[in-house]
Amino acid sequence: MSERAENRGSTGVPPVQFEPKIVAFVCNWCTYLGADLAGTTRLEYPPNVRIVRLPCTGRIDFNLIVKAFEIGADSVLVSGCHPGDCHYTSGNYHARRRWILFRELLQALGFEMERIHFTWISAAEGHKWQEVVKEITEKTRQMGPYKELYRRNGEAASPASPRPSTTPAVSPEPLRSGTSEPSAAAEQELRDTCRRLLAEDKVKVVIGYGKRGPVFITKPEDVEKLVWNDECLANLTVYLKRKEIKALGRPAIVVKGCDERALVVLEEESQLERKEIHVIGMACQGMGEPKCEACEVHLPRFADEVIGATDKHAPGTADRWKALESLMALTTPQRMSYWATEFERCVKCYACRQVCPMCYCERCLVDKNRPTVIEPSATDKGNFGWHILRAFHLAGRCIGCDECTRACPAGIDLRLLNLTLAKAAEEQFAYRAGVDPKAEPLIGAYSLQDKENFIR
Amino acid sequence: MSATISETALRELVAGWIAQGKRVVGPRVIASPIGPARDGRVFYAPLQSSDQLALEGFIHPANAMKEFLFPKHEELYGYRITGKGIELKEVESLRAEQVLIAGRPCDAAALPILDKVFNWDYKDELYNTRRQLTTIITLACTEHDDACFCTSVGLAPDAERGSDAMLLRLGDGEYEVRCLTEKGKALFDGKLKASERGASLPSAPEKRFDAEKVRAFVKENFDSPFWPAQTLACLGCGACAYTCPTCHCFDIVDEGNIERGVRARNWDSCQFRMFTLHASGHNPRPNQPARQRQRIDHKFRIYPEKFGEILCTGCGNCTRNCPEGIGVLSVLSAL
Repeated sequence: MSERAENRGSTGVPPVQFEPKIVAFVCNWCTYLGADLAGTTRLEYPPNVRIVRLPCTGRIDFNLIVKAFEIGADSVLVSGCHPGDCHYTSGNYHARRRWILFRELLQALGFEMERIHFTWISAAEGHKWQEVVKEITEKTRQMGPYKELYRRNGEAASPASPRPSTTPAVSPEPLRSGTSEPSAAAEQELRDTCRRLLAEDKVKVVIGYGKRGPVFITKPEDVEKLVWNDECLANLTVYLKRKEIKALGRPAIVVKGCDERALVVLEEESQLERKEIHVIGMACQGMGEPKCEACEVHLPRFADEVIGATDKHAPGTADRWKALESLMALTTPQRMSYWATEFERCVKCYACRQVCPMCYCERCLVDKNRPTVIEPSATDKGNFGWHILRAFHLAGRCIGCDECTRACPAGIDLRLLNLTLAKAAEEQFAYRAGVDPKAEPLIGAYSLQDKENFIR
Repeated sequence: MSATISETALRELVAGWIAQGKRVVGPRVIASPIGPARDGRVFYAPLQSSDQLALEGFIHPANAMKEFLFPKHEELYGYRITGKGIELKEVESLRAEQVLIAGRPCDAAALPILDKVFNWDYKDELYNTRRQLTTIITLACTEHDDACFCTSVGLAPDAERGSDAMLLRLGDGEYEVRCLTEKGKALFDGKLKASERGASLPSAPEKRFDAEKVRAFVKENFDSPFWPAQTLACLGCGACAYTCPTCHCFDIVDEGNIERGVRARNWDSCQFRMFTLHASGHNPRPNQPARQRQRIDHKFRIYPEKFGEILCTGCGNCTRNCPEGIGVLSVLSAL
């Protein structure tokens, strides 16, 4: 923020007329040459645009758009070759698909979408470049400087906090204990199954739920440590990637219907061999989490065996995006203010990343410091950078287990970002992560039919 | 004889401090335009008005009070690269007085412990200045949950250590006030009534482990299978360390561009792989069991041997905030 302030020339006299700063990320082969052509043919256009040349639109990292705003851009233009013209065959198709999703995320975060422009400009379209730059400059001039980035509206914007006397606060989840009656039979069956699997040496370890969180059972006599109750919240598939667990040998894993979707995505992404894992599916009545309200997978579908029964049926799919309604009902600056206030509590403990079954990178981008991609500080910049990165790297991959939200010690409703992207994936591409094992991964693929009504 | 204050008078007092321009921090239910934070949980946060102060209905805020003396991100100085030279810019010195109100005694007890590490070989000016400008008013606990274990580390629900004043609930909206230091006295000067009532002894969590035995155990059992057995479920996030009142590790980073930037310190956690990763690629603590052992080792052996104090106040935040239910207590109860 201070950088932005300095760029505004806060030290001197206020500028007489606002001159917008526009950052254009362009591909080397088409738009850059188009801009070059505009120059060589002496076409005049406003000097407000700063061009950043990249090899291909497919190489334009989504973070760059955000970064441009952070260092003082008032508008951003992203431009590349027309469909069919990509010099690397399909870079622009991949980019297009990413932008469709990324725009939805930025919208949910409260970025001003009128400041983000996408165009296709070929090497022969000097005129189009001139027109586009003129138009964006004019439009941005009218909108004025981008002041709302990471801005909080202050306390007045939110309703007065309820006094605890009227709304009793709930203390954080206590140590897990206790079992619920209806699942006692399923629990016994689970223990019997695991005892058999271990005794017959079909598996070396059972990854399951214990009284106080996950347990790793390696001996048949220890199966009594396994529990099945309404505290079995964790998505245990996260352990399949961990070296210490892998070292124990062939695993059996206890999953709920929602957790199981992670296995589908991990297999699609070649992160596991399904036949090397014994999957014990538990019929689930719901754990009382927000996600359970719209659950469609009370019964696991791909498990090697399913234990227990459920009388719950999938509700109408209409409820799936209900949680987004109140967020999207806010105005753009209100949404920005909401997230800036929520992220302010982020301590960068990365619990959201560590509990995520899909976050399996050996080294996370946020841990790279030569050069720094995302600032490690828990500041507006660092926090928005991190949460945008986390959410978008899960676009088309997040299975909605909401572990990130459950794990967050700051109580940030991260699932709203995941839901935004899941909704976009479903509405734009009829794609749902972890549902169809044969489906092509959303981000790795593209279609010539992907919409482009937002691209000029 | 004791000195008391009513809740109404206390809130008026808080409103007065806010009006004087003091930064007042206390437990608060966080609300947003689209509803309260998850579970309506309570955090230590700056108060804009006195009615935001939450005095009951929770065991321990989800964060720790240290955040307001040792912030998660703090700029040390700025720099600007000018031609061949580098211009340094000092950060503005702190001036605003701060009142931490209704803090838990386990949070306050952490401060004298932290004072030692911030004034050992190097006197940390930023920390010390904040500390001097801050008055700590604690609220003795009347409830505890399964994660609380202050009595196991030599504290109590009404431990006075680190507090400038302590409030004790009397019921009927009355609080007993014990002014423990000059700073504490100054804040309540002339606001207290003399009363016959005194607070009854709060119920304390039962003692769960013996800290001396823990120290002996960690000293002798560096390579014990106990560690992997107890901590295999650890996923390596920093939720325990970042919500701990006593964890104080930090990392120093430069943030900026080719022309200017700031040098800042950010919290760091021994649970991260990067914490001990060498440039060569070697990592002396290669897995979570080793990192969890370090956490216990530091709290119960290394720190006590160096500074004579256990680096843990039994607040239970590590256990409450761990997504997989691991914490100092769950590990040590298994001993």
